[in-house]
Amino acid sequence: MKITVRAFARFREFFGGQFDIEVPEHARVRDAVRAIARSRPGGGEVLLDAEGDVQRSVIVLVNRARVAGEARETLRLEEGDEITIYPPVAGG
Amino acid sequence: MIEVIRQDFDPGVLIDSARKPGTGAVVSFLGVVRDDGITSMDLEAYEEVARDELSRIRDRAMERFGLETVTIVHRIGTLAVGDHIVLIVVGASHRAAAFSACEFIIDSIKESVPIWKKEYTAEGARWVPGEHG
Repeated sequence: MKITVRAFARFREFFGGQFDIEVPEHARVRDAVRAIARSRPGGGEVLLDAEGDVQRSVIVLVNRARVAGEARETLRLEEGDEITIYPPVAGG
Repeated sequence: MIEVIRQDFDPGVLIDSARKPGTGAVVSFLGVVRDDGITSMDLEAYEEVARDELSRIRDRAMERFGLETVTIVHRIGTLAVGDHIVLIVVGASHRAAAFSACEFIIDSIKESVPIWKKEYTAEGARWVPGEHG
């Protein structure tokens, strides 16, 4: 199924600001982030830790709602969902 | 008023507009681009989510401190040293609540609003590291 990816700041520079990726039906957030990581050489070092899980410093939103805790790995996605990744914020 | 905008703003006008009949204290915080040896700074935002999050922070502050008014304006785009970055104006009945609320709002912005800064220097560019994950 197809999901839309949005990325900001240094992740936007690395992966692009908005694009679609294909993931398996009922893919979880972790699967999507791994697919994003595979979309560019070296992407794994940017988004994943040594175990292939999402780095703690990567902030993840699904359909504009922040995903926290265990759901960062396990929340299941639906066709057409929008997943957003960005680094820690630095405004103000 | 909650805004994420490219154009500059007039702090005096926004501070004046915070006054209501029940207001006894207006406290403002104005963030400006510091000269850290930079030539310019780019501010990037996830604009829709940034506005939503600023509105949530305003609502929390209004409820927690019993405020009369809250104005938050945050700029994005390319800024130079000395330019305005962010203005917070808090109107309250008494000063203690206004001071506390203003600090609460700027601390909350730095913690959760999706805005990032990239600094440009003679040697190149660097992202300002965020303090909160």
